[in-house]
Amino acid sequence: MKELFNKENYLSSTFDGAKRKQSAIVTALLCVFFALSAFTFINALYAFVDAIGCIVSGSPDVAIKELLRSLPLILCFFMTLWTLLLIHGYYRNASPEKRQKSLKKNSIAILCFAGITILYVIVALIIGKFTSIVEGSPFPIYPLDTVLYSVVFATIGVCGLVVMPKMAAKHEYVVPSRGPIVTKARFFYCFGVSIWMLVALYGAAGFVTGLFIIDFFHGYLAFSIALMVVFLVDALSLICWELVYNKLKEEARKKLLLPLALVGLCVSVFAAGFYFIALGFNLDGPANVGFGVLPIAFSASVNIATLILVLTPVIASVIALIKGLILRKK
Amino acid sequence: MDIKAKLILLALVPLCLTSCGEKAFADHLDDYVFTMKYHDNFNILQLTDIHWNYNSSTVASRAYLDKVFAQVQRHLKEEQGENAKIDLVEITGDLFMLANTFHVETLVKYMEEKADEYGFLYAAVWGNHDHHGIYNPNWLSNQFKKAPHSIHIDEDDNLYGRSNFIINLTDDGSKTAATKWQLANLDSGASFSETAISPFRDYDYLRKDQTQWWKMEHDRVGVDVPAIAYYHIPQADNLKAWNAIHYEGATYKHKFFKLEGFGDNGNEAYASDFIKVGRENNLKGAFMGHAHNVDWTVDYDGVVIGLGVKTGTELYFAHVDAQSTKPEVQEGLASVGINENFDLIGASLVTLKDTVGNFDLEHLYLNERTSGDFVRWVKW
Repeated sequence: MKELFNKENYLSSTFDGAKRKQSAIVTALLCVFFALSAFTFINALYAFVDAIGCIVSGSPDVAIKELLRSLPLILCFFMTLWTLLLIHGYYRNASPEKRQKSLKKNSIAILCFAGITILYVIVALIIGKFTSIVEGSPFPIYPLDTVLYSVVFATIGVCGLVVMPKMAAKHEYVVPSRGPIVTKARFFYCFGVSIWMLVALYGAAGFVTGLFIIDFFHGYLAFSIALMVVFLVDALSLICWELVYNKLKEEARKKLLLPLALVGLCVSVFAAGFYFIALGFNLDGPANVGFGVLPIAFSASVNIATLILVLTPVIASVIALIKGLILRKK
Repeated sequence: MDIKAKLILLALVPLCLTSCGEKAFADHLDDYVFTMKYHDNFNILQLTDIHWNYNSSTVASRAYLDKVFAQVQRHLKEEQGENAKIDLVEITGDLFMLANTFHVETLVKYMEEKADEYGFLYAAVWGNHDHHGIYNPNWLSNQFKKAPHSIHIDEDDNLYGRSNFIINLTDDGSKTAATKWQLANLDSGASFSETAISPFRDYDYLRKDQTQWWKMEHDRVGVDVPAIAYYHIPQADNLKAWNAIHYEGATYKHKFFKLEGFGDNGNEAYASDFIKVGRENNLKGAFMGHAHNVDWTVDYDGVVIGLGVKTGTELYFAHVDAQSTKPEVQEGLASVGINENFDLIGASLVTLKDTVGNFDLEHLYLNERTSGDFVRWVKW
């Protein structure tokens, strides 16, 4: 594990000043868009979960009516997530042609999301779906806030189409993340990573939101702390993979995967154990202090959200452990 | 102390802290009590399950509530004379679900405006979804505690739930005067897991300590004082009464609609003793919400137990089809004397008639329609 702290094991050790700067900017952008994705994710989740509640309760008409009102909010999440994926995927591609193609394709997609959102709000205003551009709910200037947000992303899309290709022609791009994209069982790989990413977004949003909204007292301190630990582990699990493991050189990754997976497993099992013990003391804890950050578990009859949150980092660690053992045998 | 013992101690600290700062409810009974001046024809409007959420248009919802208040005020003046008004609004839970601070602040502001306009006070108890939002439960309580026309309390105590309080209706509105009616507001909780690894959750119920607390509060004003309770989740008694009537031949007076389950805990092990103890202690009525497609009310051995009419169109509500062949729809329609399609939304009104425990109950069905709103008042 000492090798984890050895700078020589990181790709950045081979970078010159310009490349290092570029790598830092990419990492910073990833962090910004991860945070924005987490924030918009919890908003979209709230809107979506309520609509599911309507359907489960036998009122699909109410679900449709409500989702149509919240569509700009949901589109804002997808355009943010798309941008996060664009930044993440773009720098992993070694081929300049593929990079340019990806940049063009994804910039158009972001422009489409932004355009549809703005157009939708205008049409909804004309037909009276919104009584005013600042009708309010869930935010004071909704839906104007989604329009402004879309304008920012439309600008990002335009930059992706116009500015970035010119810059790319001038500069050599670094590859801060793992180079080759997985080709074997790609569907399962992408599906698994997507779930892991959503759980990490949920964990990040839950942890930050939880700091403000979880009532740590009123008899629920142990449960509240355990819930925060689970959220933190969910977020850190993916963040470590992306910002530490993926930045290691190929040889270092082979050596360090097993010990990293073991640490991940210990931490996630500890978090799971702590959570279930604390829950044992506060069986009504999720409903009385945690539902604000557990919107999926909103129904009074399911614990599925907490199970997903608790088990995902454990599963991710087990998969990493298996892969680490295989790599070591090779 | 070895390292193992230190680690165990460290792990136990949070658990120990969970009970710090709580006060014993039995030593502070006065802290839970508000008073209002009683008069005959004291009108209590029950709103329930407003359910403001991320998808809600609070503009549309406020427009609907405007109509409810205006309709109730008009009705009271027609029935009781020009001076009649809504005295108290009881909001029996699920004001919010998947909401944020904007919704809470907007609703409190709205209720304050209406309280000024109509001259009422309002009291809210929490339902199973009110803590299901992007805000701290303490912050939520504080919004209702600090609003001038709101009656609310949230004590850090050893009493289960967070919105347990009493409104005593006294001769002159002071705490020292004789109490004529007592209104018990209880937090029926949200849900809980039976074990730490249960995949499913059970609806919560009124706990024994809440019954004990209410009885102590009631004993303080006198056993002869009639009482009405307001809370969110129906208890086992609603279903027991329904079954007694429909399967055992019982002849309790009953009325209105039951178009889905009551949404109670359903497990005999968690059946609350509140109604039983209430019956022995002059509890005249218990009104709740929770199941939006139900406003069925029954006089269950001397205690009128009923669900209020769901207020507004958020989340879900029943479209009552007059042509339906379903027995529960036909039974409800026959009981209210309506023979056209309508939605089961509106409000409920209790009028305290005298100080010996008599009260009237009416359900208002109010549907917004482009061709003119549908309005029906149905007496209990």
